[in-house]
Amino acid sequence: MRLPDSVRHAWAIAAKDLLVEFRSRTGILSAGVFVVLVLMVFNFGRDPTAVSNIVLAPSILWVTFTFAAILALNRAFQLELENQALDGLLLAPIERGSIYLGKLVANLLFVASVEVLGVPLVALFFNVEVWAHIGTLAGIIVLATIGFVSIGTLFSAMTVRTRFAELLLPVVLLPFMILPLMWATLATTSVFADRPLNEIAGWLKMLAGYDIVFVVVSLLLFPATVNE
Amino acid sequence: MRLLRAGRWITGIALVLLAGVYVRALAYTPVERAQGLAQKIFYLHVPAAIWAEGAMILVGVASIVYLFLKDPRLDRFAHASAEVGTVFAVLMLTTGPIWGKPIWGTWWTWDARLTLALFLFLLYVGYLLLRGAVADPASRARFAAVLGICGMILVPFVHLSVYMFRTLHPMPIVLKPSEPSLPGSMLTTWLMSVGVFTLLYVGFVIQRYALSYLNEQLEAAGGIP
Amino acid sequence: MQVPEAVPQNGGYMVAAYIVVAVVILGYALSLYLRTRRSLRP
Repeated sequence: MRLPDSVRHAWAIAAKDLLVEFRSRTGILSAGVFVVLVLMVFNFGRDPTAVSNIVLAPSILWVTFTFAAILALNRAFQLELENQALDGLLLAPIERGSIYLGKLVANLLFVASVEVLGVPLVALFFNVEVWAHIGTLAGIIVLATIGFVSIGTLFSAMTVRTRFAELLLPVVLLPFMILPLMWATLATTSVFADRPLNEIAGWLKMLAGYDIVFVVVSLLLFPATVNE
Repeated sequence: MRLLRAGRWITGIALVLLAGVYVRALAYTPVERAQGLAQKIFYLHVPAAIWAEGAMILVGVASIVYLFLKDPRLDRFAHASAEVGTVFAVLMLTTGPIWGKPIWGTWWTWDARLTLALFLFLLYVGYLLLRGAVADPASRARFAAVLGICGMILVPFVHLSVYMFRTLHPMPIVLKPSEPSLPGSMLTTWLMSVGVFTLLYVGFVIQRYALSYLNEQLEAAGGIP
Repeated sequence: MQVPEAVPQNGGYMVAAYIVVAVVILGYALSLYLRTRRSLRP
């Protein structure tokens, strides 16, 4: 049974991006180094008697992931800037939606790899119990990441050719990141503090709702960012 | 330009009426017992809030219709509404804390209206910055429309989120800033103020729209001074 | 204006807010006027 064309096309685009990334490895390495650096700095800067780890760790975790996401997003369409590759992509007989989904998947995987590195480091540096709740934590991380990467992919298509692209993207994206970030941090704090699952049910529902709405909206609006 | 003249007249009348609201609110409306004189900030803060949010919704609606019809008038209107909305958001962000300090004892709190004010302000600033950064007019209109629509969709999430946050983290409120169930005289003042702010919104938007139109003509003729 | 005795004395905040609002609104009205005038001149 063959997958529908749009899905195959989307996967082809995602694979292309990931292949380029894997060959050069600059993006993932710089993001990885950044995560380690930030965590170390926060670790040295804190006063254990003043603020407990359980209070601090979630915020630091999420700030780090957010920066990593922005790094990924800034690079998302830069690949296409050279040699008018974007025009080539648009001339190909594929739906605009496939381009968006392909980019989205590539960005998600990029950010996910950074997160996979970050979680054990946070557990290590901040001495928080992660493994026992790894399922819930993974769920929160997946939901929140989809939240800002979905909108971020849409916006990066618009900002990539502006003059201060790397500055404009975070500014424009900020209000859309605050909510998932807030819900994720609250939920993560709850998880580290060993609270029962039903307490975070509300935040998870908000995250899920947000994801569904904004993935759909981004998919619908993406053609407007690339059509002439 | 007829439109500009209309806009200026409406704004002029609104400003005069605003002075009237000032006089009425300050001198002819009873003082609220629990909150004192500071409560009167309510007559400015809430109407500003209504239009800060209203302007964003209109930006969103105009943006959606623009993407279907591609009519530049809709884009001009969206731009105007966004700029005027920013002004109202600034009013919220300034009067909010000034009201909050004597009532809650703190300049900032994550209550419904202040949080929304901050989000609206950030959305507006992003919208205006994006418009400023895109050189090609057609792309600019499309991109702005995309951002405007996303902004409009974000607003209900902010409301929901604040509501949830409040039910889980009840905040120690000493006095609740007064909302409906206002006695007659206060209600009248409030309604007058809402009317004046509506007129201000309309007047400002018309003028800003006219300005956009003028600038487009200049750009087409060859260079803005 | 009659101010009952038991009411908190926070009139200063009210004055500040009313002044800020007037300044912002008049400032924006002026900004619109000046920008439009500049665009009408040539």
